Amino acid sequence: AFMAGVSPSPRWGWAVVGGAFLQAGLVFGGLRALGLCLGALGGSFGAQAGAVAWVGSAAIASLQLGGPLGSALSTRYGARPVVMAGGFLAGMGFLLGAFATRLSHLYLSVGLLAGLGWALVFTPSLGAVSRYFPTRRAMATGLAMAGASVVGLALGPLIPLLLDAYGWRGSLLLLAALSFNLMVAGALLRPLDVPIESPRPPPPRGQAGLRGLLHHGPFLRYALAFVLVDAGYYVPHVHGPARAQEVGCDEQRAGLVMAVTAVADGVGRVVAGLLAARPTASLLRHLFAWSVLTGLALLLLPLGTSFGGLTALALAYGFCAGAIVPLQFTGVAEVVGAGRLLHAIGLMQMFESVGSLLGIPQCSLSGWLRDLTGDFKVSFLAAGAFLLAGSLLILTLPSFFRTSQSDGSSIEGVLDPVPKGLELSSVPLSPPN
Amino acid sequence: MLRWLSFVVPGESDVHVEKNIFLGSAVKIELSCRLADKHSHMKILQVTWKKGNETIKHINKTEISWGIQLTVSENRKLGSYTCTVTGEKEFSVVFHLQVPQIAGREKPVVSYKGDSAILICESRSYTPIAWTWYMTNGSEQIAINDSLMLDKYVIDKADANVTHLKILKLTEEDGGTYWCEAAFELGKSKGKLKLKILSLMVPLKPFLAIVAEVVILITLIFVFELYSKKKEKRAEDEKEFDQIEQLKSEESNGVESNSARHRKV
Repeated sequence: AFMAGVSPSPRWGWAVVGGAFLQAGLVFGGLRALGLCLGALGGSFGAQAGAVAWVGSAAIASLQLGGPLGSALSTRYGARPVVMAGGFLAGMGFLLGAFATRLSHLYLSVGLLAGLGWALVFTPSLGAVSRYFPTRRAMATGLAMAGASVVGLALGPLIPLLLDAYGWRGSLLLLAALSFNLMVAGALLRPLDVPIESPRPPPPRGQAGLRGLLHHGPFLRYALAFVLVDAGYYVPHVHGPARAQEVGCDEQRAGLVMAVTAVADGVGRVVAGLLAARPTASLLRHLFAWSVLTGLALLLLPLGTSFGGLTALALAYGFCAGAIVPLQFTGVAEVVGAGRLLHAIGLMQMFESVGSLLGIPQCSLSGWLRDLTGDFKVSFLAAGAFLLAGSLLILTLPSFFRTSQSDGSSIEGVLDPVPKGLELSSVPLSPPN
Repeated sequence: MLRWLSFVVPGESDVHVEKNIFLGSAVKIELSCRLADKHSHMKILQVTWKKGNETIKHINKTEISWGIQLTVSENRKLGSYTCTVTGEKEFSVVFHLQVPQIAGREKPVVSYKGDSAILICESRSYTPIAWTWYMTNGSEQIAINDSLMLDKYVIDKADANVTHLKILKLTEEDGGTYWCEAAFELGKSKGKLKLKILSLMVPLKPFLAIVAEVVILITLIFVFELYSKKKEKRAEDEKEFDQIEQLKSEESNGVESNSARHRKV
């Protein structure tokens, strides 16, 4: 039978990567911008810094807990409508927040609603990228995730300017408008057609796919590995400026250290994706290597006691930490198969929320260690230990020592073994009901 | 019972040495100056202590330093005290005794009409006796009395080291410069804050511009997609048409031969 529809040209894959780049920027950039607004916000409500910080934590929790919802909805309806809906919700969250009269309004609007919108944007976008680049997932994902670094860097100086000009209400209003651009990113995620003749068995229904993963031993170990990784990963981001000042840097130099780390992070994402793009690359082994290196970088960070030394070590850390990002989201295909990639990402996000909530500044282990020992050295050592522990877990995965293709085609229940050169035409979209 | 404070400052040549001393409450204080080590062998001709133009007579002299003792119990006693040592070269050290400084805010607090704003001043190291808020109207400074205007101003007095001025139902006239004045035992000190009131129209314009951009881009993307789908469909229709034409001509050839056969038969 001849498909009367139209397959998008392979070139459109780059537009999808562009859309995913934009969404990564607006989701994580939006989160960062929110964090920068919290100070002015709290002052206006006369609230304690701790209470206000929960707004940001609510957003992160909502984003990660909503992961499975995003993957389930996009499996059923396709990525585009879900991402556009998510972008609308995120924008509305900020818009409502701009008119908040109480702190509790902000928890619900900018916290829960915007976070939920981001959950509906993030996972489906990665899924779409994955479908358009089934043999070069890591490269495409790395390019897309680099968006978070670029936008994050730009927002650093921009948000204070917005706050000075418009106050926090005006800034949230403008962030709402910027967040609506997530709908533009969604519009770019053109759905791929389903070839009618499909010799493979129909894919598992949404719920079954998610539930099945919960009993999947290797997947659970993979997710646990990243809960451990998360426990250490964010320590330099959260405590970096304070550590820089601890070793004697002034505010400007501390900002410079953080900016350098962010740039290295962005570059690391792209480079790791490119390195893993070769068909014979084992994503899990690359992931293991980069997470071990990140752990080592964290262990060495306390040695940076001058501006130059700290910058050099922070650069190394940033690069390796960025490298983990695309590999985390594409390596899971080697564990559960490419067909369940989307659900796996969603579920992983949900598990990671546990780690995030434990790592929030209000009750973080690293902050407590610092108060206990007097400086951040032990905090960084602990972070490095978490990274290495997570890396060891990755070592225990069965797919680690099995030589397989990077698209996971040798592992169970895969739906799209992709012959090379036919990237697009044989990629199925889980058929909507 | 007054506290004792003691300060010794070495004098260096070529460098004008000054020291700020902030006094939150009445103290007995001893100020002394001595020569820096590298000049310690200089022959001293004269040492003078002055407050302004007034010379202070009682100087406590030790082997290496010259000091004065003061009981700072009132505002008059604050000021600049200078120690001048004359020998081959002349050194001077100045002590500035003053009330603690209150830090205001350089950047204005931005708020909106109808909203409320909180202005905060604090003095952590030294506890003031009282706080007073002033608003500038033109060139005048007017004290803000929160008990008179309960629905407009609320001053939080919970913590003696911090003062909050909450201004409700903001209007454009509320914008401007505010002063928080801390009263200490020895005098008063002011901090400056600025309040900027905006109307919601101000951020609304860029907001609408960006939303318009979003709508335009989404429309363009979908239009482009429809257009390229139509183009491809036309190309495929043409291919189908050609294929059908081909089949038709083959068929007609076959029919002819059939009918030929028929006819033949």
